[in-house]
Amino acid sequence: MTESVPLTWEEVARIYGRKIYNFAYRLTGNSDDAADLVQEVLLRVRKGLSAYQPGSFEGWLWRITRNAFLDEVRRRNRRPTLPLPDEVDRWDIASSPSADVEYSRISLGDDVQKALLELPYEFREAVVLCDIVGLSYEEIARAVAVPVGTVRSRIHRGRRQLRESLT
Amino acid sequence: MKHAGDQISAYLDGELTRLEIEQLQAHLSSCGKCAAEIQEVQTVRAAVRSLPMLELPAGLVAEADAEVVPLRRNKGFWVGAAAAAVALIIAIAALVTPSSPSIAIDELNSRYGARASLDPAFGPAKLVVPDLGEVLD
Repeated sequence: MTESVPLTWEEVARIYGRKIYNFAYRLTGNSDDAADLVQEVLLRVRKGLSAYQPGSFEGWLWRITRNAFLDEVRRRNRRPTLPLPDEVDRWDIASSPSADVEYSRISLGDDVQKALLELPYEFREAVVLCDIVGLSYEEIARAVAVPVGTVRSRIHRGRRQLRESLT
Repeated sequence: MKHAGDQISAYLDGELTRLEIEQLQAHLSSCGKCAAEIQEVQTVRAAVRSLPMLELPAGLVAEADAEVVPLRRNKGFWVGAAAAAVALIIAIAALVTPSSPSIAIDELNSRYGARASLDPAFGPAKLVVPDLGEVLD
């Protein structure tokens, strides 16, 4: 999924906003945090698009997304209260128009989501970028700035730990 | 061949070369441990991939767009401030530059003009020069 043509901010928001949201939600298990991350990433993309050099747009975008996520984690780690993985605000979800549908969809994946949140961050990130976002190993390596072999190892070890959690 | 290890995930993700696939398949046919592991990893992989893709909350993109408006305002503010500063400098320069060939005022401006531009008490419109003991309008 290499994109060499620069996109407008609106196109980035339309094409990637949902993926960024799901990436953040699966990493945090929290819908508010995921929404905050989408906004932060879109702001950074908007500021950075003018300086974007044609190349791997996906690599550039997911690097921004990952950095924004890690910045937010660092910022929150300096505060006394941290949202725990199982503190998903279901009441907020239940207040949306498609609440019942959305809630049941989330509930179906609760065990998997919980197991994901128990993974070390590097494994969780690699698994989510591969299985949720749909990036290739090469794209993940560019986004995370590690060798492809490391990506392969993290994904496999992450899946093995998931299996242990789920059985 | 030793156990397949992370080649199993790479195989399921389509990340192996043809040669690597052939070698792995040959290994799987004779290694019950790896054959079992590939089934387990495949199940987990499918479970993660079956997680629902959640919808982006309504209005989120519009909110992000609105976040940029204050930045635009700030930019406008600084452009305006820069323009005002330039205008001020021009105005001061016009005041401290003699419009008539008066030697006395030239000399006073060169001595006190810079201070007058920084200190409101030394406004060039009413410049007090203590050592000359007179007031120039």
